[in-house]
Amino acid sequence: MAERRKYKKRYCKYCEAKVDFMDYKDVGALRFSLSERYKIMPRRLTGNCKRHQDMISTVIKRARAAALVPYTVTRKTVVTAPFENLK
Amino acid sequence: MRNYENLVIVKPTLTAEEIQASVKAIEEIITSNGGEIATTDTMGMRKLAYPIEKNERGYFHVIYYSIAPSAITEIERRFRLNEELLRFVTIKYDTNREIIAFNQLVQKAQKKAAAPAKEEVAKTEAPKAEEAPATETPKAEEAPATETPAVEAEAPAAE
Repeated sequence: MAERRKYKKRYCKYCEAKVDFMDYKDVGALRFSLSERYKIMPRRLTGNCKRHQDMISTVIKRARAAALVPYTVTRKTVVTAPFENLK
Repeated sequence: MRNYENLVIVKPTLTAEEIQASVKAIEEIITSNGGEIATTDTMGMRKLAYPIEKNERGYFHVIYYSIAPSAITEIERRFRLNEELLRFVTIKYDTNREIIAFNQLVQKAQKKAAAPAKEEVAKTEAPKAEEAPATETPKAEEAPATETPAVEAEAPAAE
């Protein structure tokens, strides 16, 4: 529930910033929509609009294919600080 | 002709000269198939998010180019045969919005390749672009869904 409160004020941050295109190589920008285990955050928590959620999901999937973002985080790798490699 | 972007990851076990040679060979594949390389961007040796073929690191290189769509299959076939490549990602820039983004990415990469003095010019331009959307934020908060057509219209201003 604490996590829920963090995202209580719901509005699309990408609409606010007028993001029109996301670059999959700019990994730091993807942090907002990734969980600690590098899952794609759901729209109900981030408040992203449908259009930008579609954009971010394709971009994250591209970044995963390019080995910029991991697909999964196991118990071994989760010990190290999350997001240390992307900034 | 259509705009494409290729990210290639070269094996880290090669020496620096071998990496440069293989990057040259990759660009040669694109040009020999009738592609025009707009610019290239070297991301350098990076840690991979997950091991590929037991390699923890890789040399990242990005190539922006335009080529006839039919030639992409041949390029990808050649990339698959290349054992020096760990991974390649091909991105298509097709719609108007994507083409604008492509041109911006090309400019960014060119500036990065050029002298650092030019990077300062890019920095001064960036805040201007951010100021314009900031004034219209209250509207976007209230109705993000209805705001989307305006976002598309102002494509050059964004980013």
